[in-house]
Amino acid sequence: MSGSRAQAIVRWTARTVLRATVVLWASATLVFFITRLVPGDPAEAALGGPGSQASEEALDAVRQRYGFDQPLIVQYGIAMLALLRLDLGTSYALRQPVVQILADTVPGTATLAVLALLLAWAMALALTLSHTRSSRAGAAIGDTVEIVASAVPHFWLATILIAVFSTALAWFPPVSTGTPAGLVLPVVTLAVPIAGFLAHVMRGSLDEALSAPFATSAVARGETATGLRFRHALRHAALPALGLSAWAFGYLIGGAVVVETIFARPGLGRSLLQAVTVRDVPVVTGVVLVSALVYVILTVVTDALTRIIDPRIGIVTR
Amino acid sequence: MRSRPRRSLIPVAAVAASALVLSACAGDSEPTATGPTTGGTLVYASGDAEPTCLDPHVGGNYPQALLATQFLESLVSRDAEGEIVPWLAESWTVSDDALTWEFTLADGVEFTDGTPFDAEAVKVNVEHLQDPATQSSTGYLAVEKVASVEAVDDLTARFTLSEPDSALLESLSQPWLAIESPAGIARGMEENCESPVGTGPFVVDSWAKQDRVTLTRNDDYSSPPADALHDGPAYLDGIEWRFIPDSASRYAALQAGEVQVIDNVQPDVLVQAEGSDSLVELDAPRPGSSNRIELNSGKAPFDDVAVREAFIRSVNVDDAVSSLFQGTAERSFSPLASVEPAAYSDDSLFGYDLDEANTLLDEAGWSEKDSDGVRTKDGERLTLAFPVSTNQSIPAEVSLFEQLQAGAKDAGFDVQLDLLDLASWYAALGANDYDLVSAPYTKVGPDVLRILYHSDGIVPAPSGYFANHAQVDDTAVDALLDEASATLDEADRAALYEEAQADVLEGYYILPLYDQQNHFLLSTSVHDARALGTVSTPSFAAAWLS
Repeated sequence: MSGSRAQAIVRWTARTVLRATVVLWASATLVFFITRLVPGDPAEAALGGPGSQASEEALDAVRQRYGFDQPLIVQYGIAMLALLRLDLGTSYALRQPVVQILADTVPGTATLAVLALLLAWAMALALTLSHTRSSRAGAAIGDTVEIVASAVPHFWLATILIAVFSTALAWFPPVSTGTPAGLVLPVVTLAVPIAGFLAHVMRGSLDEALSAPFATSAVARGETATGLRFRHALRHAALPALGLSAWAFGYLIGGAVVVETIFARPGLGRSLLQAVTVRDVPVVTGVVLVSALVYVILTVVTDALTRIIDPRIGIVTR
Repeated sequence: MRSRPRRSLIPVAAVAASALVLSACAGDSEPTATGPTTGGTLVYASGDAEPTCLDPHVGGNYPQALLATQFLESLVSRDAEGEIVPWLAESWTVSDDALTWEFTLADGVEFTDGTPFDAEAVKVNVEHLQDPATQSSTGYLAVEKVASVEAVDDLTARFTLSEPDSALLESLSQPWLAIESPAGIARGMEENCESPVGTGPFVVDSWAKQDRVTLTRNDDYSSPPADALHDGPAYLDGIEWRFIPDSASRYAALQAGEVQVIDNVQPDVLVQAEGSDSLVELDAPRPGSSNRIELNSGKAPFDDVAVREAFIRSVNVDDAVSSLFQGTAERSFSPLASVEPAAYSDDSLFGYDLDEANTLLDEAGWSEKDSDGVRTKDGERLTLAFPVSTNQSIPAEVSLFEQLQAGAKDAGFDVQLDLLDLASWYAALGANDYDLVSAPYTKVGPDVLRILYHSDGIVPAPSGYFANHAQVDDTAVDALLDEASATLDEADRAALYEEAQADVLEGYYILPLYDQQNHFLLSTSVHDARALGTVSTPSFAAAWLS
């Protein structure tokens, strides 16, 4: 019995690793071909950017150095072999190893994303618990807040937050300065849309759970209303929201491009934007791979957490 | 008080350029008048792209020039009147055949790494620009006619040219040709990109990518240009050069007092800042070309001058500029920037006249209209491809193009605006997939006309880049530009360039809009900052904080 369980875990692990590898390979392949097939010459990234008037010799030297003179499929093969060796290459524009660029920028973006996700969960829980099963007017207000919050674009929210909390009230700096105060506005900007979305999903499930027969029997056993929400129903309500958190993290990386630019924070999003603009293929590939890797890990983790929270799904099944 | 100089902005170089010095305003508005005080760190927020290399010899773009102005110096500079003045070179002579230039260098100048500045250093720098391994673009083009540099003695550098070049001094004044320490260059590209070593008032201390470059004072500074406001070491302890790409955030940081200077100030922010008594504007249009729409005369329909004139007559630029730039930009009628003494204007060619546009198109054979109101000729629609770079055109300019698109529609033009990122935009130009394009070109002096309108400029560089987007292919214009390049006499040279500009304007190859906008906002606590007369980058060599 325990032998087959161990086997199941090995199989699950192997399947997960294989799936993750396929996702990473597909991401790298897509990025490679998309960045090479859109107009623009990556050789110019090394020569001062698009519109370079560099000499023939300079251009030849760069093409040879980075292998742009080879057929595209050969370049692809070389790039994939390098990735197998975990060699992400050197940025054409910044002349630095991509690994170093990632090491410099990942912590800033990770801090932003983790804090934003935590704040989004806190806001979503508060919204959910305060508006579930409230009056019809309360529910309508909750709905409106959630939908508006989840639809608000980052650039607009960031601009409004700066206008109110920096320029008018002078509570927080408008640009991220490395101090904790500098983190507040970017984190709030990223958290609000996710909070709206999570709350909307959670409140739906919470309403459902509170109407379920087990809720009635819990009340019959003498459970208080608050106890019912926290000890019983929330567990059910959190499940779909938890599944969405991995998706939300991907959304945060996209939001980081906007938020890091507006609040002038060093990070992955800004690296990506700059790299795409000049066709700096190694950096684009590096950032996408990191994002894909984080996405894969989070999916696995939320999957595992779901199994823990919901004992009905065993590790062996599925 | 010239905190709002734009109302009095007269398109005469001398006046506009002399208005760049800010000291008068700060002095008037505050009763301190105690004179400069030493100390303090100036925080500058740049909206330009962060350079990928701080050595402006590598590549060579405006963001590099902005920073290099703080720590590198050139052989010569250009003053507010547009005159070339001594800098690291004290004087120069040129041979009768215009092929040999001898520069006498300033004595006793040292690079901040202790290397002496001498003729050998000048030779090393020109060779560095010409070496393909340096990957220079702007600087490399500027020294194309320099065959060799010889160190005659420590303080005499002899340039031998392959052909006469009346633009040599103007080229050498640019930050992309600044003189760096040979020992610094010898460290190799990677290290020199991180911290180039010059003779300037500040030194690169550190560079935190995506965040800031920290500059500290050069305590031994002794080599200001002839038109400097101050000739010793800087008053400031240093400069924090921050990168804040978003326009609204930059302005908010300035209002919050986190930074004291911002660049790339957009029209809406300029209007907001109007009337503030804690902010001063520095309006320093870039030299070289004006911002103008180029009409691709190399293919149909703009190979017909009547169709070019019809387009230009059909768009109401004046109204669009004044509504979208809200009085922050002055209309131009010249191929050249107003800061160029050689700029020639002719506003009579650019009057808005829809009837005239319609008549011209009818006569040119574009007399039918399809169901969308677009003119046709032999079944061809009068479609104009207009790729727009969102990196080069600010939002107000994109809106301007949209208004012009609507205006041209009334005459039966179908203008297809296509917003592109920089690399795609250059690719569209390289593929000749455009009828209209806006591509300003920054360079010191009228020689930019040769780059933009000589038929040689239609031939793409190895990278695919070419500068003559209007595809002006006129032997008379070529001859004028060639002769001007070889003419050292200032008056003769200016006359030749004036004739060439008249030909370009009268051929309806371009629709001038305004100068290349280059607005800065400074806190009134910053005194004696100025924009150099070369590429209009701000210098803080004489600046102090109160």
